[in-house]
Amino acid sequence: MSAASAPPERILRAAHAPWLAGAALLALYAAFMGDIYGLRLLTQAGIYALLVIGYQFVFGHAGAFSLAQGAFFGLGAYVTGILGAKLGWGFMTTFPLSILLPAAFALLVAAPVLRLETHYFALATLGLAQVALIGAVNWESLTGGANGLVGVPRVVLFGARIAPGWPLLLFVWGLVALGGVLAWRLTRGMKGLAYRTVRERPLAAASVGLDGGTLRATAFVLSAAYGGAAGALHANSLGVVSPEAFDFSIMVACLTMAVVGGRGRIAGAILGAVLLVHLPEWLRGLEQYYLIAYGAALLLVVILAPDGLAGLVDRTWRRARGTTETLPFLPSSAVVAFTGGAALHVECLTKSFGGVTALDSVELRVAPGEIVGLIGPNGSGKSTLANLITGLYRPDQGHIRLDNAPFEPLRPHEIARLGVARTFQTAELIGGASLIDNVAVAYAATADANLPHARGRALNALAQAGLSDRAWEEAAAQPAGVRRLAEVARAVARKPRFLVLDEPSAGLTDDERATLARLLRGLAAGGVAVLVIDHNLPFLSGLAGRLVCLEAGRVIAAGTPDAVLAHPDVRRAYLGAAEDTP
Amino acid sequence: MDALTLVQLLLNATALGAAYALVALGFVLVINATGAVNFAHGDLVMAGGFLSVALAGALPLPGIVLLPVVAALMALLGLALSAAAYLPLRNRPPVSVFISTIAVGVMLQNGANAIFGAAPRGGPPLAGDGALSLGGLALDRQSAAVIVAAAILLAATHLLLTHTQLGKRMRATAQDPEMACALGVRTGRMVALTFALAAALAGTAGLLLSNRYFVTPAEGGSLMLKAYIAVVIGGWGRIGGAVIGAFLIALFESVIAAFLSQPVAEAALYAVLLIVLFVRPGGILGEVEGRRA
Amino acid sequence: MNRVLRAAAVATTLLSSIPLAASAENVRIPVLVPITGILALEGTSQRNGAVMALDEKPSGIEAGYDVTDTAASPETAVNALERALSQPNVVAVAASIFGPQMLAMMPIAAERKVPLITISGTAKITEMGNAYVFRFFPTDAVVKVAQARYVVEELKKTRVALVYQTTAYGQSGQAHLTDNFKRLGAQIVFEEGLAPTVKDMAPVLAKLKAANPDVIVLQLHSGPTALFVKQAAGLNLPIVAGSAMHQPSTAALLEPAELKGVCAESGSSPISGGSPTMEKFTAAYRAKFNAEPDAFAVAQYDGTRMVLDAIGKGARNAAQVRDVLATGSYEGLAMTYKSDGTGNMAHDAVIVCYDGSSRVPKIVKRYAAR
Repeated sequence: MSAASAPPERILRAAHAPWLAGAALLALYAAFMGDIYGLRLLTQAGIYALLVIGYQFVFGHAGAFSLAQGAFFGLGAYVTGILGAKLGWGFMTTFPLSILLPAAFALLVAAPVLRLETHYFALATLGLAQVALIGAVNWESLTGGANGLVGVPRVVLFGARIAPGWPLLLFVWGLVALGGVLAWRLTRGMKGLAYRTVRERPLAAASVGLDGGTLRATAFVLSAAYGGAAGALHANSLGVVSPEAFDFSIMVACLTMAVVGGRGRIAGAILGAVLLVHLPEWLRGLEQYYLIAYGAALLLVVILAPDGLAGLVDRTWRRARGTTETLPFLPSSAVVAFTGGAALHVECLTKSFGGVTALDSVELRVAPGEIVGLIGPNGSGKSTLANLITGLYRPDQGHIRLDNAPFEPLRPHEIARLGVARTFQTAELIGGASLIDNVAVAYAATADANLPHARGRALNALAQAGLSDRAWEEAAAQPAGVRRLAEVARAVARKPRFLVLDEPSAGLTDDERATLARLLRGLAAGGVAVLVIDHNLPFLSGLAGRLVCLEAGRVIAAGTPDAVLAHPDVRRAYLGAAEDTP
Repeated sequence: MDALTLVQLLLNATALGAAYALVALGFVLVINATGAVNFAHGDLVMAGGFLSVALAGALPLPGIVLLPVVAALMALLGLALSAAAYLPLRNRPPVSVFISTIAVGVMLQNGANAIFGAAPRGGPPLAGDGALSLGGLALDRQSAAVIVAAAILLAATHLLLTHTQLGKRMRATAQDPEMACALGVRTGRMVALTFALAAALAGTAGLLLSNRYFVTPAEGGSLMLKAYIAVVIGGWGRIGGAVIGAFLIALFESVIAAFLSQPVAEAALYAVLLIVLFVRPGGILGEVEGRRA
Repeated sequence: MNRVLRAAAVATTLLSSIPLAASAENVRIPVLVPITGILALEGTSQRNGAVMALDEKPSGIEAGYDVTDTAASPETAVNALERALSQPNVVAVAASIFGPQMLAMMPIAAERKVPLITISGTAKITEMGNAYVFRFFPTDAVVKVAQARYVVEELKKTRVALVYQTTAYGQSGQAHLTDNFKRLGAQIVFEEGLAPTVKDMAPVLAKLKAANPDVIVLQLHSGPTALFVKQAAGLNLPIVAGSAMHQPSTAALLEPAELKGVCAESGSSPISGGSPTMEKFTAAYRAKFNAEPDAFAVAQYDGTRMVLDAIGKGARNAAQVRDVLATGSYEGLAMTYKSDGTGNMAHDAVIVCYDGSSRVPKIVKRYAAR
């Protein structure tokens, strides 16, 4: 069992110990070692820590490779620079505006930019940053051009000047603490789990009703706000603003700090910033070779600390203490009770891909409390139907509705929120997370999402799937059957009104299959409408009240299992083609 | 602007684009093989440029003779790069490789600065100086040689990847490493060879650029950006797309800049990039299916 | 009152200089210049000039120093300055050529009362009323006048094509050139800013040609200047370039024939010789650094020598060195330096031209601001 997936409360609390010690060490260092130079470096590290804490939202949590964080930094610096140096506005006005303007800009571009995936998103954000740099260099009347702006006011709070040295250091690190706590509150527990699911398993996230787009946009805007704050402090602390604030090297430094410190970790952001600000300074004695040594040191850290320095500290600490795992006490709520379902109506559904018709005028109805089995040879359109129902594909023609609620304008997470749950042909679980957390995410989109509570309820769902013993084990370490059942547990945990399962019995042992059948019968008894796609005909005929057989995208037979299995077209199309399957 | 000038600018764009195409080609090969961006790629071009300067200083031979030597030495550097910055991280997420290649780039840039100094240096001409006159057009011999050399190298790379056993194995590794491994391809070795090929292409581009446009230690970053833009405009993972993207960048630098001002042309390139991304999120040629890292 | 006190302090120290002479060996003159990044070329000249002066130990004055890279951002420069000032007995700092770095370092220098010895061309640094900045390279207000006057008065050209870099160096020069040409009655018929990464000059040359100028005025860095001169060879227009052209490393990129008709402004041109002391400096520089010296190296050398000279004459701390710099004058290799009251020490400029037979230019005209 991997300790990473077993975070009982006591270990969690003990895990804070090295970080508290580290913070104390840093404070001691500042108090005893810090001359003005040392204090200046620590202040600068604080400014970068703020920048990187912000970057962790979009890069660490939302998993979007943004290259705009340096631009938000520059934007914040220039807002402070222009308003402060040109208009003479004070810190109390320029600082909030330096946070708001980059955030507003991020909000403006979030919709078109976040639609793009990975490298396209990266380059789009980089393109925006480069345009900002070109603007800063060439719009001389506003920005002072390449020479920049001089005379940016120092930090003045309610009339009190925060002088460089100790006052500015404490102010900046006060903001780091504030920003860190805010970031922690915004990404801990259930929110962190939601981001992790969006990042690692976007399909699963949508299937439990999580709106990935909104989550990513929120993270993007938050990161811009932090970047703007860091840029403003940068300008205030230097007294000048020049296009170097927009330089790609700031973005590279930010990315490096995030990865070296530990992706997604607040402690990692701080560690990375402190280390990477100091590292070149420590190597100064090597004169023109110091950056070569810096590069070599950076390479070593990346190779030796796979999860960043924060991960290294955690691992070392855990090894030093030994892993004393105690399962936490979880409040045991009543067995999941189902309070009725809804009827699924599929009418005249047609879908083709690049001229190939995958589904052709399919009609299907699943009544509340009914289990319908969907069969058909490979490529007959079964999974396509599941993906159409859950909104991953858009139909060319036809309608889907749950009772009287139509699906057509809705996106996958909205369909999920109507009460539709699903499992996938290959289980969509977060490999590095425990089974219980994979199930607990089912509650991430509910109003009162709270991780301990959700885990309590997830444990019940896992118990129904016969997996309570493995609840704290890592998903990636489980056999295929267990992963499938865990995914069923996640779908069940959502208390759906309609449930569609894509090949749930594949890879299951006989015992697991019996558990699954018992679970689904229980659901149906509670009124849920259930659609099961499967190849295992004996399993389906024992479970489903009705079978529907697809072939080449058309319904060729529907009715009781016996009637469908005896249908000549089915025997020809399905059994003939799959004689060797059980 | 008269037609003759325009043709002249287009010729310049072709020569510049040919060199950029070699840069982008090496960049996209590594992306395909590893799923990660090689941030040191621009610095490899720079290293190739300085290597040519150093070789030309030691052996007074024309660039065309030095080119294979530069390619061979750069291939060794590529192997070293894969051993230091990729192989130890091959089971990690691609961001680790971003950082490790950033680190190597920093080392290359500052190594060149320490060894050669900060002054720009001119590399050897490929085959003598002077201009070829073609119906009133002054196509200087170096540009013509760059176009021919780059065309030959692009074609050779294409043949290597499509018509040799080695190239097929490299492509198989890029498309599906697990499958390739199951078929007995030594994928680690193939990835290392891809790095070697990419570095050799970058190095020859460095040689081709260093004569007409000089080489400085700090220029790697801007070359890497160009390769990145070329690959995204052309379609992530598409070799032909990267080449088209490279020529498009050169078109903006050498032709569009003659109609707009240079800073406006540069901003316009990014504007076009953003528009391409919003209108065709898969690049001009679309993306290679399933190769999105 | 304050001045009286300070004068009294100087006098007291000077009187007691004999017993204190030994402590001159404890003074430090840190060298904070960009030796990596985009300004590494100019910064390395600066470093070499300062190091040469410090290593020579004129009249036995030994000042401790270390060289710290300020790279390419104001932030790094400020860190370097704070680091340097954390050591005792810093009497002066050889400071970066890069304008934004100077602007960021200046308030700290003023607060800590340590003079900065720089060669940055950015006009603004001596317009801020900062008493601790001393510039030993003629400011743009001097060299750009020389450049414009040479074009209009000597070459008799009136249709100017101005190509400048979109950097601190280029934009600052462009502003001064525009003013000066207007004042001299010349017309700027074409103007364009270029990013330092531009490779192909053909587009700007095509537009420039269409504007039908009779002279090209450049304000580009070393590499781009050489690129431009090389590619503009076919136009047969005279080129009067900025100080980057006079750098031997720029000329090294071009064939002597390509340099024919090319002129440049500068503070000096050490490789052109002119005086036995300059020739001695050039020979010693080549021997020490295996490189050709340029005006930046000379200016930083002269500035550093002036500080050492002040120490030799009894200045023992930063305040005293500052006072000598602010009030004294010094006969350097390139010219005689004296503050104009704002910290500008250099007031002479030269125009050098290449005759097409060698990469060593000849000084064709000297301009003195006063």
